[in-house]
Amino acid sequence: MLYSKNKIALVDCNSFYVSCERLFNPSIIKKPVIVLSSNDGCVISRSTEAKALGIRMGEPYFKVKELVKKNNVKTFSSNYALYGDISRRVMRTLKQFSPQMEIYSIDEAFLNLSSIKDEDLLEHGNKIREIVLKWTGIPTSIGIANTKTLSKAANYIAKKEKSGVINFINSKKIDYLLTKIKINDVWGVGKQLTKFYIKNGINTAYELKNIENSWIKKNTNVLGSRTAMELKGIACVFLEPHQEKRRSCCVSRSFGIKVTKLDELNEAITTHCLNAAEKIRLDNQVVKKITVFIRTSPFQKDKNYYANSKDIDLPVSTNDSIELVKHALDALKNIYKKGYRYQKTGIIFSSLKNVDTYNKNLFSKINNNEKRENLMKAIDLTNVKYGRHSLSIAQADFKKKWNIKKQHSSKIDTTCFNFLPIVRTA
Amino acid sequence: MKITLPFHINKVGAGFPSPATDYVEDDVDLNAHLIKNIPSTFIIRVQGKSMNSVGIHDGDLLVVDKSLNPKNFSTVIANINDELVVKTFIKEKGLSFLTSGSKKIEDKINLTENPEICIWGIVTYTIHAL
Repeated sequence: MLYSKNKIALVDCNSFYVSCERLFNPSIIKKPVIVLSSNDGCVISRSTEAKALGIRMGEPYFKVKELVKKNNVKTFSSNYALYGDISRRVMRTLKQFSPQMEIYSIDEAFLNLSSIKDEDLLEHGNKIREIVLKWTGIPTSIGIANTKTLSKAANYIAKKEKSGVINFINSKKIDYLLTKIKINDVWGVGKQLTKFYIKNGINTAYELKNIENSWIKKNTNVLGSRTAMELKGIACVFLEPHQEKRRSCCVSRSFGIKVTKLDELNEAITTHCLNAAEKIRLDNQVVKKITVFIRTSPFQKDKNYYANSKDIDLPVSTNDSIELVKHALDALKNIYKKGYRYQKTGIIFSSLKNVDTYNKNLFSKINNNEKRENLMKAIDLTNVKYGRHSLSIAQADFKKKWNIKKQHSSKIDTTCFNFLPIVRTA
Repeated sequence: MKITLPFHINKVGAGFPSPATDYVEDDVDLNAHLIKNIPSTFIIRVQGKSMNSVGIHDGDLLVVDKSLNPKNFSTVIANINDELVVKTFIKEKGLSFLTSGSKKIEDKINLTENPEICIWGIVTYTIHAL
């Protein structure tokens, strides 16, 4: 069969954020550890030991606080500077094993292993794990199969059984193992589809695999039948080695403390706007439409809830921070109402385009302003060199009273001289 | 962390330009010199004085490559009692030891007798400010 040539490995880092924290801190190896989302809101990574205590993924921190205290669970605020660097190292290491790779998320990548002999796949998988662990200190699990969806399934089993590598290719156990995967744990099956499948008596990956094509085609959409085909071993979703550039960019944060004044919201929006502008400049993109939003906490019983947003269609696409901040603040002024305690604000850039493809407007002051472009470049360079927000525009607050809570951060940054990991001599 | 320095072969002077100008000149790239394996190399700061005799001082930066294996007299980062520390790796009569700069016998740790100790990485350079 044509498709049997297709061999895909999904490499997934085990409890990635926890593993990153353990890298320079051996005292938390083999102990229960959790990492919290920004603002210390929810649990987003758990060590095996923490999972065993019954701490669930995504659970709000305040709900598990007692459990954490009782069992001395080591708790960390998320440290994305560290996780980002370790992720790049893992991906770079993986790249050696296959030039055809798709980085799927911060801790997952698909590798094309079609050049490896079937009988060597398991050994090859073990070699990948061994090298990634030695070079970067990060443990991984690997699923190998003929399609992306099956490699995800194999990976799921590898994690569950803690077996390191599971190879579905030429395996007689595939069907048996697919019965162990609940339908909602199948890659590509979302909440709505799960409900629909369960209603129709499809409860496991195995059952979905054995549903007739005609039924799937009639009752679900293209994505639904793709997933079913992939479970049968027919590749429909291919590797995307070249990541497409983003089409929109959102920066938003919850406030560490509730904010009431327009001045403070201005500072926050300015900072978010600068972050977003820096991101799109890095990708050589310009923005045509910006959206500013604010809201109060939906969980405050005695207070009125208020949420609003404002879109601004820019006359000319731009990535000029100064121009963008001006518009963003206008939008904010428009939707701000006195007397509310705001919990969250953010900015969305949409209709992003590449700098080279957008139509230069000869009559626009913004685009012809080479000085301004150079200023933006200088700002970005300075901030790369001396750390985020070394150079900013006056509206952005450098004190950042409202900035996110990070009470438990490990404060290690492997890419910044001021926050390098430390070893003692003894 | 990219550090480059301009590297000029010919001295600046008046008169006839040096024919060597054509052979110039790339910037000196310290990263390329110090870092052989990018994904496995970390920069780590040292705290403490007990490795002074090997040339490692308080506040120095260590270039540490996790992908290498220790050889006799390698300077290594090891995980000892839940802490990362700098040590010297020594092989003697088929046995492996870790020592500090002090050369006292009681500082010698026998790795065969302490299987829980593992080598975290190999120090390939130290960056010391004068």
